[in-house]
Amino acid sequence: MKVKYLYYVLSLLVAMSMMLAACAPQVAATTEAPAQTEAPAATEAPATEAPATEAPTEAPTTERHGGWLDEIDVSVVDGASAISQIQAGAIDFYSFALASDTYPAIKDAGLSTTKSVGGYYGISLNPAVFTDTSVLNPFSNRKIREALNWLVDRDYINQEIYAGGSLPKLLPITTQLAEYTNLIDTARALEAKYAFNPDKAKEVIDAEMPGMGAELGSDGKWQFNGKPVSLIFLIRSDGDGTRKPMGDYVANQLETVGFTVDRQYKTSSEAFPIWLGTAAADGQWHLYTAGYTPGGFPRDERGGLQQGYLNTSIQAGEPYISNVSDPEFQKIGDDLAQGNFSTKEQRDEMMRRGLELALEDSLFVWTIDQQSYAPYDSDVQVTWDLALNYEAASAGASNLRFKDKEGGVMKIGTNDLYTEPWNPVAGSNWLWDSAVMRATTQGSSGITGGGGLMADPYTGLAYPERIESAELTYKEGLPIVQNLDWLTVTTAPQIDVPEDAWVDWDATEQKFITAAEKFPEGTTANVKSVVTYPADLFDTVKWHDGSPISVGDFVMAMIQGLDPAKPESPIYDESLALSIDAGLEAFKGYRITSTNPLTIEAYSDSYNNDAELNIVTLWPLSPFGLSGEDSWPMFAISNLAEANKELAYTPDKADTLQVEQTSWVGGPSLEILSKYLDQATSESYVPYEPTLGQYVTKEEADLRYANLKKWYDEHGHFWVGTGPYYLDKVFTTEKTAVLKNNPDFPDLSNRWAMFSEPKLAETSLDGPAQVKAGEEAVFDATVTFKDQPYPQSDIQSVKYILYDASGAVAASGDATAVEDGHYQVTLDADATSKLSAGASRLEVAVVPIPVAVPSFTSLDFVAVP
Amino acid sequence: MAVVAQPVLEKAAPKKGHHESTLLRVSRYVVVRLLTLFVTVLISIYLTIMIANMGGYVDRIMRGEIRDRVTGSIAGNAAFVKMDPAVRQKLIAERIAAEEERIGLNIPIAIRNFRYLSNAITLQLGRAINMTSDSGSKQVRLILLERLPATLLLMGISQLFLFFSSVFLALNLSRRYGNFWDKLVIALSPTSAVPPWFYGIFLILIFAALFKILPFGGMVDSPPPSNAIDYSLSVLKHLILPATALVISSFFLSIYNYRTFFLIYSSEDYVEMAKAKGLPARDVEQRYILRPTLPNIITNFALLIITLWSGALFTETVFLWPGLGRTLYQAIGLYDIPIIVGSTIIYAYLLAMTVFLLDFIYALVDPRVKVGG
Repeated sequence: MKVKYLYYVLSLLVAMSMMLAACAPQVAATTEAPAQTEAPAATEAPATEAPATEAPTEAPTTERHGGWLDEIDVSVVDGASAISQIQAGAIDFYSFALASDTYPAIKDAGLSTTKSVGGYYGISLNPAVFTDTSVLNPFSNRKIREALNWLVDRDYINQEIYAGGSLPKLLPITTQLAEYTNLIDTARALEAKYAFNPDKAKEVIDAEMPGMGAELGSDGKWQFNGKPVSLIFLIRSDGDGTRKPMGDYVANQLETVGFTVDRQYKTSSEAFPIWLGTAAADGQWHLYTAGYTPGGFPRDERGGLQQGYLNTSIQAGEPYISNVSDPEFQKIGDDLAQGNFSTKEQRDEMMRRGLELALEDSLFVWTIDQQSYAPYDSDVQVTWDLALNYEAASAGASNLRFKDKEGGVMKIGTNDLYTEPWNPVAGSNWLWDSAVMRATTQGSSGITGGGGLMADPYTGLAYPERIESAELTYKEGLPIVQNLDWLTVTTAPQIDVPEDAWVDWDATEQKFITAAEKFPEGTTANVKSVVTYPADLFDTVKWHDGSPISVGDFVMAMIQGLDPAKPESPIYDESLALSIDAGLEAFKGYRITSTNPLTIEAYSDSYNNDAELNIVTLWPLSPFGLSGEDSWPMFAISNLAEANKELAYTPDKADTLQVEQTSWVGGPSLEILSKYLDQATSESYVPYEPTLGQYVTKEEADLRYANLKKWYDEHGHFWVGTGPYYLDKVFTTEKTAVLKNNPDFPDLSNRWAMFSEPKLAETSLDGPAQVKAGEEAVFDATVTFKDQPYPQSDIQSVKYILYDASGAVAASGDATAVEDGHYQVTLDADATSKLSAGASRLEVAVVPIPVAVPSFTSLDFVAVP
Repeated sequence: MAVVAQPVLEKAAPKKGHHESTLLRVSRYVVVRLLTLFVTVLISIYLTIMIANMGGYVDRIMRGEIRDRVTGSIAGNAAFVKMDPAVRQKLIAERIAAEEERIGLNIPIAIRNFRYLSNAITLQLGRAINMTSDSGSKQVRLILLERLPATLLLMGISQLFLFFSSVFLALNLSRRYGNFWDKLVIALSPTSAVPPWFYGIFLILIFAALFKILPFGGMVDSPPPSNAIDYSLSVLKHLILPATALVISSFFLSIYNYRTFFLIYSSEDYVEMAKAKGLPARDVEQRYILRPTLPNIITNFALLIITLWSGALFTETVFLWPGLGRTLYQAIGLYDIPIIVGSTIIYAYLLAMTVFLLDFIYALVDPRVKVGG
C-alpha cells in the first residue's frame, strides 16, 4: 500500500515537472539563412502595435494637487519574474523596460506595456590594413564593408531574435524617431536600396577580393597567401543575450560568401580590451557585435556621422581613428557635428548626403533598433518617454495613476535602487535611481539648467511648467527653428553680452566675474534666453521640508556649477574641472535682472536647433545634469563636509582623500552631514556670503536649517525637492523607496494630462489594384487617431514613396490634404511611366506633430504596360 | 552537506625515553601549528589575488572599461563637441590616466598584489574599486558587514536545520536499516545533484506565481513594516522559500551520508561486543556509536558554521536576498578585487582558527587524541 502511495506521489511530481517545463518559453532557434526579400517589408503602423493606454483624451478634472497617487512604493524586482509578479498582484508596474523578446510574453499575459527605444545594435568592422601583411583584412575595403548591408537580413534578425518586437536598423539615426521622420523619404529610399540581397553582396565581394590579392579556392573559400581568409568575430555572449544569435547569424552569412569565421564569444569585459584597447592594425579582430543605448531623446542626430564613423570622432580611439573615410563624407560629418550650416534646409540636405555616404563607408553595419517594454497592469495608466521609457520621462510620475481613480498605493518594481550614492554633483545617474529622484522634482527639459520646463515625452521638446514667459533671441543666420508658440523668438544681427553679466567665478573673492572683467573688449553670444517667473513663485513653491523656494536657491546652483573647477576653492575637484572648463568655452553669462518677479537672462554660444531647447531657466536642479533638485542649505552643508575633507561629491576625489562619497540618502554621509547641519545652524551660516549674502538673510538661513533639521529627524535622509511627490522613506539594504504625494504642490494632478498617451496616427491607403504605366493614378490615404480624423493642423507632412517591381524607389513626394484625416496621392504619368510591369508598391508615411513617430502604410498594385 | 573524512589525528605516541612537560609540548605544537596555518592562509590569499586579477589580465579588462567609460562620458557632453579633436584627445588621455591612477593601475601589478596581500593579512580591507555598499559606502568592511546579517539569517536557519535534522533522522534510519523510509531516502538522495537555486525557481513558480501565498523574493515587504514584530514576521515570510530551497537541495543526500556513516560505526567489532554483552541499545548507541563519531560530527558542524559566512551565491541571486553571496557574485562580475580578497581573507582566518581549535576539541572528546603528542 505504501509503495502505491509512493507511486502516486512520484507520478504527481513528474506530471507537475512536465507541466512547468511546458510553461517555459520556447527557445528561438535558427541559424538557417532566410528567404530573400526585395523591397522593404511593409511596416506596421506603430499605432497598431503600441499597447496604448486607454486613458481619456480629455484632461480629467480634479481638485487634487501633486501626483495622482497617495503613495508609490518602489522596490527591486527581478526582471525575469516581473510579468508573473504583476499577474500575481505583487506589483502593479515594472518600470525598468524589458528587452523586446519579452513582448510576446507580456501580451500573452494580458498586460499593458510601454514601448520605447531600448538601444541599438550593429556590427563594428575593423577598417585598418593590418601591420602583418600576410594577413588580409577584407574590411579595409569600403566596398566590402558596404556589401555587408546586402548580406544581412535585418527583418529576419528582428523576427527570429527579437520576436518581431524591435525595428530593423540600417541608418546611423534612430529608426522611426525624430530625425528619421525628418528625413523620411531619404531613409526609406536607402532602406529600399540596401534591402537584403545576398546575391548582390556576393557579386561585390567577388569583384573586390581578387583586387586585394585573394583567390577563391576550389572549396569556395577565399584564400590569401595560401591560407583561408579567416575573420575574427568578437561576439558578445552577455547582456540581454541577443548579440550571440545575431553574431552567429552574421557569421553564417559571411561563410556563405566564402569567408572563414573564427567566432570568439566574449563578455564585454573580455571584448573591450581587444575591440577598443588594441590598435586596429594589429589585426586582433575583424568584427564585433556592438551595442549602444541612447543618452537622451534623440531629436538631433547630426553628430552621429562624425561620432560613429570618422577619425575625428569625439570618442577619439580605435577603431574610429584608423578609419580613412571618403573626403566628402569626412567634411560633411565634421561640418554637421560642428554646426557649420546656416539653415535647416542646408542641414537636412547635408544629412541626406551624409546618410548615403555613411552606408558607403559602413564602419558600422547597423542591424537593430531595439524596442523595450515596461509591463504594467491593465488598471494602471502610464506616461512614458518614446526614447527612454517611463524611468526617463519627466512627466512620468506626475501622470502615473490607477485608471479612473484618485489616490491609492502603487507598487513599482525596478532593476535596482541606490546603485551609487545620491548627490547632485556626481551621484547616481542610473535610470532607476533617477526615476525616483525625478518624481520629487519639478519637470526637466533634459537640458542642464532646464528644470521648470516639462519635457514632452513624445517629441523631446519642452513646455513651461513653472516659468511664466520666455524669450529667445538668436543671431541671424543660425539654423534655429521654433516649433511651439509658448515662447517668443526673435533674431538679431549681433547679441552683445551686458557688462554686468556673470561669466565666471572668483573662488578667492567668492564673487562672480563679470563680462566687463573677463572680456574688457566686450563679447557677444549666439543665443540669449530670458525667462520670467510668476510674481507669486516664492509664495507658491515650497521645498518638501516646508521652506519657500528663494532666489538663494537659484544663485547657489549657479555658483555650484563653477566653484569646484577653481583650484583656490575648498571644494576644488580635478575630476569636475575638465567638464566645467569645457562648458565655459561656450558659456557667455547669466544675469538676474529682477528678483520680483524673478527674471533671468542667459547668454551662450552653444545652441540647439530647436528654439524651445535653448531656454535656460536656472531652476535649482543639478548643475551637472543629474536628476533631483538642490536647495542651497543642502549644498552649504555638503560643501562644509567636503571642505573639511570628510566627504567628497565625486568618486575620484573620495578615493583620493580616502573618504566616503557624499550621499544625501544613506550611509556614513548622513551622520557627517547632520553634524555640519548643526554647525551651520549654530552659526546662521550663509555660504559664499559676499555673493549669496545679497540674496539670503540670516533669518532665512535660520528658517531653512531648522526646517531641514526637522525633515531629517522625520525622514532620516536629506533628499528634499519641490516636486509632486516627496521621498518619505529610504531603505537602502531592503532596496525600497517610499514616495508620498505632496499636497502643497502648486499644480493640480491633471496638469500634464496632455501627455496621457502618445497621439500615434493610424493610417490606411486605398486605390486602384492596377495602374497603367504612363497614366495618372490617384490613391486615398486616411489618417486617424482612435477612429477620429487626425487634424491637419497636427500633421507635419504626409509623404509617399513609390517602389517598382525590383523594390527600387521610382518616385516620392508629398500627398495633398483634402480634409482632416484625408489625403490624396496623385501619381502623375511621369511617375507611373517609371514602373516596370509587375507588382509595385505605394507607401505612405505620416509625420504627426504631437509625436515624433511616423506611421506607415502601403498598398500593393500591379503595374501594366 | 557532505560528511568530511575524519581528520588525521595525532595518535597517542608511545612512551618516550625522556619526560617532556605538557606545557612545553602544547606550546611547541601551538607555535608550529599557528605558523603552518598562517603560511597556508598566506598562500591561499595570494592565490586568490592572482586568480581574481587573472595574473594581470584584469588590468587589461579594466583599462578597456575605463576607456569606454571616459570616451562615453565625453561623447555625451555637448561641451566637448566643438573642441579641437587633438585637444579633446589629449583631455581624454589625461582623464583615462587619472582614472587608472585612481584605481591603482599605474602601480606595477606585482607591487599591487603584495599590497593587497599585506592589507588582507592585517585585515585592512580597504576600499572597493567600483562597488558601493547599499548605503553608499566604499569601505569593504561596511560593504561586507551590511550584508552579513541577511546571510547569517538565511544560511544559519537553513544550514542548522539541515544539520540537526539530518543527524537526527540519519540516526533513526541507521536503527531501521533497510525499511521503507531508509529506501526512500536512498532513492531520493540523487535529488541533491540539483542546485538549490534550481529548486528556488520551482518554489517561486509554485508558491509565489501559482498559489500567490509567498513572496517572489527580497528580504522584506515593500515598504518594510515600521514595527519590529511585523518586520520580523515579514522577514520570516520572505525566508521560507530560499531557506527551503537550500534545505531541499541537500536534505536527502545529507541524511544518506550520516546514515551510512552511523551504519559503518554500528558494525564495528566493539559494538557487536557490547551488544553481545547485553548492554541496553541506548547505551550502545550513545557510548559505542555516537561517541567515536563525535569528532567527525563536530568537524562537520564547525565547518558548517564558517560556511555561513560565504553565503549562497546563486540562491541569493535568484531570490534577490541581500546577502554576502550576491555581493561576492557582483564583485566577481566587476573584478572588484578588494571585496573578493576581503571576503576570502575572513573566510580563510575563520577556517584556520576552526582547524586550530578542532585539534583541541578532538583531544577533549576523544581520549585517544593528545595535542602535540
